[in-house]
Amino acid sequence: MGKLGYLTKEGFRNLKVNKLMSVASVTVLFSCLMLIGIAFMLLVNIEAFIGGIEAENVIMVYADLDSTEVDYISLGNRLESIDNVAFIEKVEKEQAYAEILSELDEGLKSYLSDINENPLPDAYRVTVADMTGFDAVVSEIKTLGGIERVYENSSLARQLSGIRNSVTYISAGMIALLLIVSLFIISNTIKVTMFSRRLEISIMKSVGATNSFIRWPFMVEGIIIGIIAGLLATGAVWAIYEFALGSFTSVLSGFGGEVQISFLDYALYLVAAFVGIGIFTGIFGSATSIRKYLKERKFVELEE
Amino acid sequence: MIEFKNVSKKYDGAPAYALKDINLTIDKGEFVFVVGSSGAGKSTFLKLMMREEVPSNGTIVVDDTDLTKIKKRDIPKFRRRLGIVFQDFRLIPNMTVFDNVAFAMRVIGTKEKKIRRRVPYVLSLMGLNEKARNYPKELSGGEQQRVALARALANNAEIIIADEPTGNVDPQMSYEIVDLLMRLNEAGTTVIMVTHEHSLVRCFDKRVIILDKGSVVSDGGTLNREAATSHINPVSEISNEYVVPPEEDYSAYAGFSAEQGSADEEPFEIAEEFILTGGDE
Repeated sequence: MGKLGYLTKEGFRNLKVNKLMSVASVTVLFSCLMLIGIAFMLLVNIEAFIGGIEAENVIMVYADLDSTEVDYISLGNRLESIDNVAFIEKVEKEQAYAEILSELDEGLKSYLSDINENPLPDAYRVTVADMTGFDAVVSEIKTLGGIERVYENSSLARQLSGIRNSVTYISAGMIALLLIVSLFIISNTIKVTMFSRRLEISIMKSVGATNSFIRWPFMVEGIIIGIIAGLLATGAVWAIYEFALGSFTSVLSGFGGEVQISFLDYALYLVAAFVGIGIFTGIFGSATSIRKYLKERKFVELEE
Repeated sequence: MIEFKNVSKKYDGAPAYALKDINLTIDKGEFVFVVGSSGAGKSTFLKLMMREEVPSNGTIVVDDTDLTKIKKRDIPKFRRRLGIVFQDFRLIPNMTVFDNVAFAMRVIGTKEKKIRRRVPYVLSLMGLNEKARNYPKELSGGEQQRVALARALANNAEIIIADEPTGNVDPQMSYEIVDLLMRLNEAGTTVIMVTHEHSLVRCFDKRVIILDKGSVVSDGGTLNREAATSHINPVSEISNEYVVPPEEDYSAYAGFSAEQGSADEEPFEIAEEFILTGGDE
């Protein structure tokens, strides 16, 4: 068995010897990661929901009534060249007129078709890429010539981007807080383990084991706790998400909303992130507590 | 060779020096008793030698290594040259005798194949072959201390540092432990044994360094009965603390044969010849 194998085995032994402490730290770390996961899935869904509404929040740009075909095309080109415009969509007057007609009742429809003249201008439906720059796009469009009217709903855009920002900040804050708690838990567990194994550590130091040799099993312990908690948390978040989907889909569809995010699209990221967090907190948490321990404790505690 | 040159040690916040102006040399292959009452500075002396502490003044050189200048990362390597035996044995309770000894080799990265050869050998030197699979709690104090000695030998220590190794064993086994240390010494190992059991020290005709209040008050004499009276006889003159009540008459055990055993201890057989590098190849 190689040196690394021995040290890794020792790490597993640590876990077994301190069973209660290991279970406790896996549980607490698991809870933290699960909360992080739930916060993350909520964030993803709220983002998608807001994104959906935002996509509907377009700027309608109506060309001058007397503009020619060439003017209309040139307006389109100028709109497209504006920064932060995701895409534009032609709404030609014939099409718009037909849409309006189709929404009217028969009486009105026959009345209007008698006029035989289309009163509507050609238009463009402009979709903005970043909603925070919505107002800037609107004012830039207003500077362009050949425009009859610009129709937009900037207050909705502002509200949406406000909601999105708060959701992002709150989630990021929560995730950061939970990460710190996780780190604290792991380093505490390692500290307890080290204390309970102080005899072994003192012997190790007295026979000339290097600090890295002493450190490795504790790091392995931290990493294993991290991985187990990470995997459990991913499973739990999945289960909770599926359950929530089942309960909320019908409610949301009543409001015309739809949950389109599948957990599996994010499962891989979550597992990677959780295991990564676990490994990171394992290494970092154990490294700090070990450094402190090895510095503070002498191996010889002799009576004078 | 271990050399203390003008070594003083004062701990942070302590009112007095733990050790003051120590000058002494311990030759390679020497056996030295360090005696002194509690607070005399024995432990500081050992801690300095193990590079657990650094002196406030002076230098300590062990062979070619200056312990006041040694780099932090070289300390573990230096300690591999020492075999340290503690009064409380410091055996790991949930490991067998074999694993306790092997532990000292594993933690410095020795290959398992070598461990499997070396451990039975050092156990046989200590007469512990039969106990390899036992746990420390199944052993007597003397046996536990022999396991600790075996562990100190596992990595071929050049210097054995024993801190009150007989403090927790019965008088007869105390004599045996020192006798074992003597045999290790005869095989070439430098042995430094700290003790406060004067009567035990008197049984052996070896150099005795007496510490009191941080200073060496006597060096070079023996506390051997005859020698003690004729040579240094420092006891009552220096400090009353040195008049130790006659706890045990260890001389009764001189010439004691291990095979005879004692009331509390199982008889054991130690190796006829101490070849300390045995089991290495």
